[in-house]
Amino acid sequence: MRDEIPPGTLYMLILKTLMRGGEMHGYEIANSIQQISEDILQVEEGSLYPALQRMLLKGWVTAEWGVTAGNRRARYYRPTPLGRKQLQAELAQFQRVNGAIQRILRTT
Amino acid sequence: MEWLNELGRRLRQLFRRKQWEDDLAEEMRLHLDLRAADKGSEALAKRKFGNAALLREESRSVWGWAFWDNLAQDVRYALRTFAANKGFAAAAVLSLTLGIGANTAIFSIVNAVMLRALPVEDPHRLVALHVGIASDDRRRGAVVTNPIWEAVRDSQQAFSGVLAYSDDHFDLANGGESHFSNGLWVSGDFFRVLGVPALRGRVFTTDDDRHGGGRSGPVAVVSYAFWQANFAGDPNVLGRTISLNRHNFEIVGVTPSWFRGLIVDQPFDVAIPIGCEPLLHTDMSALGHRSWWWLRMIGRLKPGETPEQAQAQMDSIAPEINHATLPTDWPSQLRARYLKRSFWLQSGAAGTSITGSTYKTALFTLMSVVGLVLLIACVNIANLLLARATSRQREISIRLAIGASRSRVIRQLLTESLLLAFAGAVCGLLFSVWGARLLVHLLSTRAKQIDVSVSPDLQVLAFTAAIAVFTGLLFGLAPALRATGIGPNHALKENARGTVQGGARFTLGKALVTGQVALSLMLLTAAGLFLGTMRNFLRLDPGFNPHNVLLVKTVVPADRIQQQLRTPFFSKILSDLRALPNVRSAASSMMAPVAHGFWNQDARPEGYQRQPDQDDVLVNLNRVSPGYFRTMETSMLMGRDFSDRDTLASPKAMIVGEETARHFWANQNPIGKTIALEAPGSDVTYQVVGVVRNAKYSDLDEPLIKTGFVASMQDPNPSPEKYFEIRFDGPAEAVIAAVRPVIGAINRDAALEIRTLDERISDSLVQPRLVALLSSFFGFLALLLATIGLYGVISYAAARRRGEIGIRMALGAAEGAVTWLILRDVALILTIGTALGVGVSLAAGRFIKSLLFGLEATNPATLTLAAVVLCASAIFAAYLPARRAAKMDPMTALREE
Repeated sequence: MRDEIPPGTLYMLILKTLMRGGEMHGYEIANSIQQISEDILQVEEGSLYPALQRMLLKGWVTAEWGVTAGNRRARYYRPTPLGRKQLQAELAQFQRVNGAIQRILRTT
Repeated sequence: MEWLNELGRRLRQLFRRKQWEDDLAEEMRLHLDLRAADKGSEALAKRKFGNAALLREESRSVWGWAFWDNLAQDVRYALRTFAANKGFAAAAVLSLTLGIGANTAIFSIVNAVMLRALPVEDPHRLVALHVGIASDDRRRGAVVTNPIWEAVRDSQQAFSGVLAYSDDHFDLANGGESHFSNGLWVSGDFFRVLGVPALRGRVFTTDDDRHGGGRSGPVAVVSYAFWQANFAGDPNVLGRTISLNRHNFEIVGVTPSWFRGLIVDQPFDVAIPIGCEPLLHTDMSALGHRSWWWLRMIGRLKPGETPEQAQAQMDSIAPEINHATLPTDWPSQLRARYLKRSFWLQSGAAGTSITGSTYKTALFTLMSVVGLVLLIACVNIANLLLARATSRQREISIRLAIGASRSRVIRQLLTESLLLAFAGAVCGLLFSVWGARLLVHLLSTRAKQIDVSVSPDLQVLAFTAAIAVFTGLLFGLAPALRATGIGPNHALKENARGTVQGGARFTLGKALVTGQVALSLMLLTAAGLFLGTMRNFLRLDPGFNPHNVLLVKTVVPADRIQQQLRTPFFSKILSDLRALPNVRSAASSMMAPVAHGFWNQDARPEGYQRQPDQDDVLVNLNRVSPGYFRTMETSMLMGRDFSDRDTLASPKAMIVGEETARHFWANQNPIGKTIALEAPGSDVTYQVVGVVRNAKYSDLDEPLIKTGFVASMQDPNPSPEKYFEIRFDGPAEAVIAAVRPVIGAINRDAALEIRTLDERISDSLVQPRLVALLSSFFGFLALLLATIGLYGVISYAAARRRGEIGIRMALGAAEGAVTWLILRDVALILTIGTALGVGVSLAAGRFIKSLLFGLEATNPATLTLAAVVLCASAIFAAYLPARRAAKMDPMTALREE
C-alpha cells in the first residue's frame, strides 16, 4: 500500500529532509523521503523539481553545483535560515491541524 | 523587505534563462539516470518521474517569466511599428512632451511651494494656528499680534510646543544703499519646537526672547548659506557681530544647511528673537501693540494627540485670550467682532511660501490650462490611433483568428500607447526641469526674489509617471477596444479597407474632434481674457504719470535722529535733490504710490450724514510734501497745493481726491470744508484746500476709492522713514548715481532703496503678464492641435468615401456639391463643439474672476473672437481635404473600389 502525500506538505517534507541531511541533490531528497517513510509516502518524483524551484524563489533553500560519488555533476540544495523558520511555521501549523483532527477522531 | 529579495532573485534568473534551462534539464537527467540504474529500467524510472516536459513548464511558471516575455515581445513589436510610422510616432511624442512637460513643470512648482513637507523633525505633526471668525471665511488670517502670541504661548496645553515667527528684511549695510537680508523674527522655542539643532554654537533659548533681549543681549542665528556667503564658512564666526538695520547683534549659532526657514521660497539669512524687537523699533514697539498683526504661530501636536483634540483645547482658551488681548481703542462694533474670534488649525507641514500666497490662483489656472492642452493632445493621438487601427484591421483580425485572445491583443496595443506615453513623459520631464526654472525666474521680481528648488523629487516623478499611465490609457484604450471588438470572421470577409469606422455619420473620431473644438474654444477664450486683462493694465491711466519717476526710500534709525529734527532733515534732502541736474521736480511722501500699503481712517466730513455702509466714511490717506502732485503729474482740479506756509503752527490742510469731494460734498464747493479724522484721544480737524484728480492709491486694480492727502510739514510725529519721488530727464542711472551722494552727505546712516516707479509697476504686473503669456501660448497650441485633429479626421473620412464620391461625380455631382458633402460634417462638428465650448467657458469663468481686470469672464467680444478664430482655422483645415476630394478623378476612385 502506497499513499499520495497530503497536499501542501511537500515543502515541509523537503525542508525536514534537508535539515537532517544538510546538503542533498534532488534524487537523494526523493530517496530519503521514501526510505524514511518506509516506502509508504510516495512522491511523483519529478514534482520535487517545481517545488524546489519555488523554494529557491522564496529563499528557503540555496543551491550549488557539486559532484556526486559517481563523479557526476549534481545540484545540491541546502536550507537557509529563512527555510528553517518556514519549516518551524509549517510544522507548528501541521501539528495543530493534525492534533485537532486526531482529537475529533478519538472522541467518537 | 523579503519581497524585494524575491524580486531580485526573479530578475537574476530572468537574465540567466539559458543557464537556468540547462541546469534544470541536467538535474532531471541525473535523477532519471540514477533511478534507471537503481530499478534497472529506464521506462520504469520515467514512469515514476512523471511528465518531464510538463514539470519543466511548471518550474518555469514558478518564476513568473511569462509576463516579462510577453512584455519584451510587445515592446519589440511596438518599436518596429513606430519605426515604420516615424511621422506618427514623432508627432505623438512631441505633443505629449509639451503636454506632460508643461503639466510637470507647473506641478513641480506647486509641489515645491505648497506640498513638500519641511525638512524638520516630524513635519506632519506641525499645525499652523490661524485666527478668525467661524462664520466668516474672509476674516480669517494667518497672522496675530504679539500679545495674542504671548497669551497663547503661556496658556496653551494643546501642543507639546508652540512657536511664532515673522519674516522681515534686515538691512546689513551701515548707511548708504541698503543691502537687505531675509530676516526672521522667531520665538525663543522656535528651533527647539521644529527640532532644528545648531550646526555651530547654539540656537535660541527662551531667555534670549525676553523683551529687550536676554542675558546674552541681542543675539542672532544665521543660516548655513549666509554663513558661507558672508563669512566664507569661518569656524570662528561665533561671537562676531552683524549689523541689522544699524543695530549690532552677536552671532551665537549657525543652522544646518538643510534648514532654510519656514518660508520655502525665501530662505532665511538671519534669525533674531522676537523679544529684541524694541531694539530695532525704538519709536513704537510691536511687542505690546494690540493691533499690530505680524506673527505666524505653529504648534507641534503632542504624541498620540489628534488635531481635533488640539482644536478643542484651543477653542476652550480662545475667549480668555480674546479678552486679555482686546484692542481697547477699536470702535465697539469691531471690538464685539474681535471677541468672537477663535483659532483654526491648518496643516503646517509644508510651511508657507510667497509663491503660494501670491500666485495660487494663477498657478491653479495655469495647471488647468496645461491639463486641458494635454487632454487635447491625448484626443489627437487617440484619433490617429483610431485611424491606424482601421488600417491595421487585417493584421489584428488575423492575429485574433489564429488564436490570440482579445485581451492579449488589447494588451499589445496598449503597450504601444503606454510606450508612446512614457517616451513623452521622459522628454516631458526633461522639458519640465527647464520649464519650471523659467517659470520661477518669471515669477521672481527684485523685491520678491523666489528662491526654491524645483528639481524633480519623488513626488514629481510619481506625478509624471501617473500622468504617463493615465494619458497612455486615455488615448490607447478606446482605439484598442475598438480595433479588437469586431469578430475576425467579419473583418476578414470585408474588403481590405476594414470596417472599424463603417459608414457611420457621426463616428467616435468625429465625437473626439468635437470635444477638442470645445476645449480649444475654452482655452482660446481664457487666453483672450488674460490678454485683455494685460492690455487693460497697460492702457490703464493710474491718475499719475509713472514714467521717468525715481522712488527713493530713505530710512534713518529712529534712535539716531530726534523727532523734532526729522521734518527739517527730510526738507533739506528734498531741496538738495531738487537742485540736481536733470531733476525736473521732486517731492516726498509717507507712502509710495501703488505700493500695496494702506493708511486709512474713518473721517467726519463737514455736513455729511454717515451712511450705514461700512466703508462710507473710510478715507485712504497719504502724507505728502509740496510739489507732490506736480511731480507725479496728477492735475490739481481746484484750490491749491501745499506750500511751505503749511506748518505745524498753521491750520491743518488737506487735499482730497475728486471721488472724496464728490462723495461727501456733491454739488458743493469742497474748498474750505472741514474734515475730521478719528484718532485715539481727540479727532484732528483739517480744512480742504485743494482737489486733485483721482489716482490709484495702493494697487493698480483697485476700484475707485476715496483719497486724502495731508501735509508732511504738519506731521506732529514724523517717522524716520520717507519716500522721495523724483521726476527726471535723461537716463535713470545718471540720476541714481547723483542721488546717492546727496543723501549720504546729509546723513551717512540713512539707508536707501532706489527704484524707478516704472520698474515697480512692472513688478506688480508679474502675475497678469505671466498668465497672459502662458495662456496665449497654450491657447495657440490647443488651436494647433485641434486644427490638426480636425484635418486628420476629415481627410480620413474623405479618403474613406472616395468610392461614394466617385460614383456621385460620375453621376454628375458638381465640385461644389462634393466639397459641401465633406464640409457638412465639419459644420456639424463646429456647431456642436462651439456650443459646448461657449457653455463650458461661461461655466468656468467664475474660477478665473480674480485674475481678470477691467473685463468680465463672460465678455462677449472675447468669446466671439475666440469662436471666430477657431472656426476660421477649422474650416481652413477642413477645406484642404474637401477640395482634394472634389478635385479627384472619378475614374481613378472607382477603379480602386
